[in-house]
Amino acid sequence: MVWTEKHRPRSLNEIIGNEEAKLELVRWLRNWEEGKSDFPGILLVGPPGIGKTTAVHALANDFSYHVVELNASEYRTAEKIYEKLGSLGRSYTLERYFTGRERRIIVFFDEIDGIDPKEDRGGLDAVIEIAGKRDFPVVAAANVPDPQKHKKLFELFKVVEFRQLTPKHIIILLKRIVEREGLKIDYEIIKKIAERARGDARLAINMLQAASLGIPVESISQSLENLPLDELLRRLSSSISYYEIKQLIDANSSLWEDVIYTYFDIIARSPVLKFDAKIQLLDALSKIDIYLGRMNKERQFFYLRYLSHLIAWLIYNANRSGAVYDGRIPEYRLYKFVFNRDAREEFTELSEALGRSIHESRRKFTLYTLPTFCKLVKRKYSKLCEWVKKVYGW
Amino acid sequence: MQYMKIRYGETFSIPRRLGNLFREVVRIKGVEYIKGKGFIVRDYYALSNLNKILARLGLILTPEVRCFICGKYVDCEKCEFRNNCKRDVTICICDDCLNNKNILNIYLAKQNKFLGLKLSSSQK
Repeated sequence: MVWTEKHRPRSLNEIIGNEEAKLELVRWLRNWEEGKSDFPGILLVGPPGIGKTTAVHALANDFSYHVVELNASEYRTAEKIYEKLGSLGRSYTLERYFTGRERRIIVFFDEIDGIDPKEDRGGLDAVIEIAGKRDFPVVAAANVPDPQKHKKLFELFKVVEFRQLTPKHIIILLKRIVEREGLKIDYEIIKKIAERARGDARLAINMLQAASLGIPVESISQSLENLPLDELLRRLSSSISYYEIKQLIDANSSLWEDVIYTYFDIIARSPVLKFDAKIQLLDALSKIDIYLGRMNKERQFFYLRYLSHLIAWLIYNANRSGAVYDGRIPEYRLYKFVFNRDAREEFTELSEALGRSIHESRRKFTLYTLPTFCKLVKRKYSKLCEWVKKVYGW
Repeated sequence: MQYMKIRYGETFSIPRRLGNLFREVVRIKGVEYIKGKGFIVRDYYALSNLNKILARLGLILTPEVRCFICGKYVDCEKCEFRNNCKRDVTICICDDCLNNKNILNIYLAKQNKFLGLKLSSSQK
């Protein structure tokens, strides 16, 4: 069993580090229960792996609540959130009817920074509305919330910052696990892990588990998460195990698009790959690209779990067929930076001039007039070509 | 960027002319100004908001760190982990307490008192 799960604290007392943040959490819930809290909900902010989710579950355990967890990757729109919480109300009413017991619930929105206030139809407003009704305590957690995008959340919720653990806190945490597991690990190794974990408790525990199996700390010190693109590509390209590739892909979901484009470049340019293998891999790649585009458009991030398998499968097969990442930056990344900026500037200038010529604002011209012109041009393209030939001679 | 140590709840003066920023600073919840004595910062939320403003003047205030167990001030400069620590916390553990063989139980008992929670029998 993974130690991060096995030794997950069940009570706030057992969580090491972030003492002030935990105190704020306890104070807020006590005030909320007494109806004295100024804030309908609480927002926990901080990097991954420092115990935000664990703290919520432990808090619920200490105060005899049942946690209803909604992850922003699945429940993003108002419709879905209400649907989930509506059925929840019904099931608890039934339970109360049959068992005579009433279970109190905490609603926990994890990774709330994943909800886009504009694109995810009313998702954030729904969270705020649910908290505002004060039927149950609402806790939200976020890694990197945008103070502008999530302004409402910052204004209405109590914001509690969770910070990276200090190496000394990590030492205490590791000592506890060593004691519980009855291990004999040298204190110097524990110190080394605490230094290399960079405040990430999850990573430190994983490193300790690996160290207990005899793996040297130096070889496991680098986290899989948030790798720079170049490092990720190098690691993906050199992996021969599907499991390892899948782990890397899962831990770096923000870079999928870049990985896909770069792998297109790798496969298309590879001198080693045979023609049939290239066709097969590019076909798989195009499907992944379509699914990813569709998923982004529909904002159905629930399907990410399937897509990660497809991407890992593609990379695994590409590696086996002999495709190698040579550190070359694909053109699309240069285009993204240079071409897009130039094109944008040109387009703004042009639409402003054209709009002015027909007495319209740039916005109105871009939104309404330009699409109509485009349609006309598309329909009467042949006539336009004839006219251009006649006037300009080409 | 200049760093300056402060203690929560104690007065200190800012070695910069705040000018127009003074109004913004005193508006922060948890920051007070006492004429003739200086500023008081109540908690670390107030401090992070204050630092956002002072960063424009090239000044960052960092809190003095206390040991969670014994309450002594901890000197980060003398800590062996100073290069692997973000140093943005106000609570740490001093070397004496860390080297105590019973540190885990002491920490848990202290935390229990700090949070005001009841210990379950399995945690004792």
